[in-house]
Amino acid sequence: MLKYSLRRLLHSLVTLFMVLTLVFLLMRLLPVEGYYGERADKLTPAQKEAILRKMGLLDPWYVQLRNFYLQLLRGDLGVSVIYRANVPVKEILAAKIPYSVAFGLGALVLSLVAGLAMGIHMAQNKGLFWDKFWTWYVVFINAVPGAVYLLFIQLYGTSITGLPMLFDRYNVRSWILPLVSMSLSGIAANAMWLRRFMVDELNKDYIRLARAKGMSSRAIMVKHVLRNAFVPLANYLPASILFTISGSIYVESLYSIPGMGGLLVTAISRQDNPLVQALVLIYSSLGILGLFLGDVLMAILDPRIRLEKQGGAR
Amino acid sequence: MRLARRVLPVLLLGALVLTGCKGAGPAPRKSGDVVGIYSGELTTINYLVTATTAEQSVAANCIDCLVEYDNLGILRPALATSWEVSPDGLTWTFHIRKGVKWLTYQGKEYAEVTAQDWVDAAKYILNPKNASQTADIVYRVIKNAEKYFNGEITDFNEVGVKAKDKYTLVYTLEKPVPYFLSMLTYCPFMPVNGKFLQEVGDKFGTDNEYLLYNGCYIFSVWEPHNQQVFVKNEKYWDAKNVHIPRLIFKFNQEAATLAPELFLRGEITGAGIPTDALDEWMKDPQKSKMVRPAETSFYTYFYAFNFNPKFPAEYEPENWKIAVNNLNFRKAIFHALDRRAALLTTDPYYPERMINNTITPKNFAAYGGKDFTQIGELAEISNRDSFNPELALQYRDKAKQELAGKVKFPVKVMMPYNTGSTSWTNRVQVVEQQLENLLGKDFIDIIPVGFPPTGFLNATRRAGNYALMECNWGPDYADPETYTDPFYPGSNYNWPEMAEGYLEPNGKTKYQNMVDEAKAEVIDIGRRYELFAKAEAFLINEAFVIPYSVGGGGYVATKLEPFTSPYAPFGVSSLKYKGQVVLDKPMSTEEYKAAYEKWLKDREAALQQEAAKAKK
Repeated sequence: MLKYSLRRLLHSLVTLFMVLTLVFLLMRLLPVEGYYGERADKLTPAQKEAILRKMGLLDPWYVQLRNFYLQLLRGDLGVSVIYRANVPVKEILAAKIPYSVAFGLGALVLSLVAGLAMGIHMAQNKGLFWDKFWTWYVVFINAVPGAVYLLFIQLYGTSITGLPMLFDRYNVRSWILPLVSMSLSGIAANAMWLRRFMVDELNKDYIRLARAKGMSSRAIMVKHVLRNAFVPLANYLPASILFTISGSIYVESLYSIPGMGGLLVTAISRQDNPLVQALVLIYSSLGILGLFLGDVLMAILDPRIRLEKQGGAR
Repeated sequence: MRLARRVLPVLLLGALVLTGCKGAGPAPRKSGDVVGIYSGELTTINYLVTATTAEQSVAANCIDCLVEYDNLGILRPALATSWEVSPDGLTWTFHIRKGVKWLTYQGKEYAEVTAQDWVDAAKYILNPKNASQTADIVYRVIKNAEKYFNGEITDFNEVGVKAKDKYTLVYTLEKPVPYFLSMLTYCPFMPVNGKFLQEVGDKFGTDNEYLLYNGCYIFSVWEPHNQQVFVKNEKYWDAKNVHIPRLIFKFNQEAATLAPELFLRGEITGAGIPTDALDEWMKDPQKSKMVRPAETSFYTYFYAFNFNPKFPAEYEPENWKIAVNNLNFRKAIFHALDRRAALLTTDPYYPERMINNTITPKNFAAYGGKDFTQIGELAEISNRDSFNPELALQYRDKAKQELAGKVKFPVKVMMPYNTGSTSWTNRVQVVEQQLENLLGKDFIDIIPVGFPPTGFLNATRRAGNYALMECNWGPDYADPETYTDPFYPGSNYNWPEMAEGYLEPNGKTKYQNMVDEAKAEVIDIGRRYELFAKAEAFLINEAFVIPYSVGGGGYVATKLEPFTSPYAPFGVSSLKYKGQVVLDKPMSTEEYKAAYEKWLKDREAALQQEAAKAKK
């Protein structure tokens, strides 16, 4: 396990270095006009040079890259140059991450509880009314763009229930609709996959054997089917928890939640290089860590999986 | 510029909706708070660096200038109580209002506002390390400022801004600038406290606590991507003319979509009504009483003929180059463009008010009580509609005759548009059909080409990648000269200096010589305006461009009172909430039109009064 972990760590560092360097170089390929702001047509060449110099963009790319890594080794994520000029990236993220994590974890718990319950209910009633009923929900959530139903939930949800339309961190009632909205797709996904895995399990020989041995349906469901069906889902759980940090782009923006949702897209479109690099570093690290923890969790849940032997699950 | 339109958060609603704000009556009027939502967060509130309208609106409400505009567009004293200008027009001496305090974001007194604050602001702006986006506005007029910015001189004492004593500020200019006073209403001429600047260093303007306040409001709470709260500065020198106690803005990325609903629920003070929802509002008996036209801006929109085509070979740039250099070809398109039809894509109810017959918009500048657009040859142009199908067909026939054998018909006309703008996407199709139907598909072939919003101008106009294109320009100071910049050599709009047949013996084009002559006239403002009017009339009559519309506009439902806030063609005065109140109910279109008519009359009378004063 230790050997495997160290090997994965080494691979991860190499991957991280490649991703960061690639993104760094790609950002330098963007047109410089993007750094000039609204008065781009009116700035003098001297002003344009001053702007680029302040952002450190007049140095050769390898000098910029070296400076970036040296800064990173000191634990400094740099200073935002456009998104919030001169504000340390750490400060920007520190103000946003708690919101996204709070909403993300809340929504994750909701989607797990409701999604697993729905999945079990569907599997138990395979081909019957409730299976079809929940399938309709799953299809609806996957087929209709989120922007449509989330906007409806906001407009009609607030007018029917009297809940606030905009988020206010001091008002607990304003948390309800965003949490529900964020969990809807998770519920559908969890229910769909759990149903599928459970139905697969139900068709296996060992279940027939268990039935033949006289085990109750409830015991079969809980002790065998659910546990085995949950293993593939568990693989994605650590990554899902870690990625709550990235926030929900649409729901956060809809309810005015000052979280991380959409920050990377905004930072890229505004060409705020230090912020982009910091976000890529965080997201890449979390992605790699999430996959690793997923493998470990699977190994714990299913002793048949041996990480060292096969060099990992992936 | 594109950003300005895109970003326009509902935060700026007040600015858009209710341009202006001079306190009318001496007694404070009762008003509730302004509550709004906005979709574009501020990136900085460092007013000495930023050039973004939304960010400058913070400064407009929190920092005062030497002078400010009143609600009729007349310059009045603000932090300067009076001023004198030397006979040669080079030295301007301002007497600073005594007892005005710099306050912290918590409302605590920090220091007194003194003349040195303007010197410190200039020193900051002219330091290239601070990368001010408005530095050029200062160094184009102040003596030695450009040399200091470029490092040619290092002693700031040689720069033409000095604090003669605590309350006397002296600006020395490179050359006489007739519109210098108007420039002083813009951010780069705002004061800053030097001691505070030194204390906070690079953090200046990064948060509300890293700014000092001397204007009508204090930025008391700023939670980025959550909310902004401004409270009235009770110690403000003109506090009796500030009626709204608090300005509260909540962030919402979908502000434009949600605002109308929030307004109907009474949760916000005002909302822009999107064009696609306008029909529903206009047809609803209740809602129609709440919606009215929004103010237009001084952005000028025009269709530019490109004399330096750099578009791909498939659109036949060489063929276009020959065609566009034919005056009758340009005039055919000039008179064939039905601007009203095109503007219906933006404003289906009242498009006429957006139409602009000149490059310089109406009510931008006036001399001797006469609006600039009514001076000389411009008067005829501004009082007519350029759309004239008969004339268009006559010019088309002449062009066909003159270009026969020289160009390949139909001439391909590549028209780029921004796919991020629904109205532009619709409009380019309207223009295509309308022009081709009138002039004939055998004469021109309009080819709309969509480009994504990111890097749109770099990929199109600035690269010369168009034949005919909708362009815009915003003024930098209150003088008609500012509207000549896009057409002057060195610009990247439509390169009229490359048009054939306009070179004069001195090697410059006729237009350039006309503009140079106008620019050189800095003493006789009447003559200066006549010369600029003549140059602009030439540009239009020779069909280098097709004046199209003004910016802003649209429709709003708002309780904010219009026509009481500062009215300014330039600077940040028009972004102020000073003088405004929140009404009990929104104005209807009829009420708004009546108020607008009254305002027009008041402004005309005020201009006449100013002209009479100037004569004395």
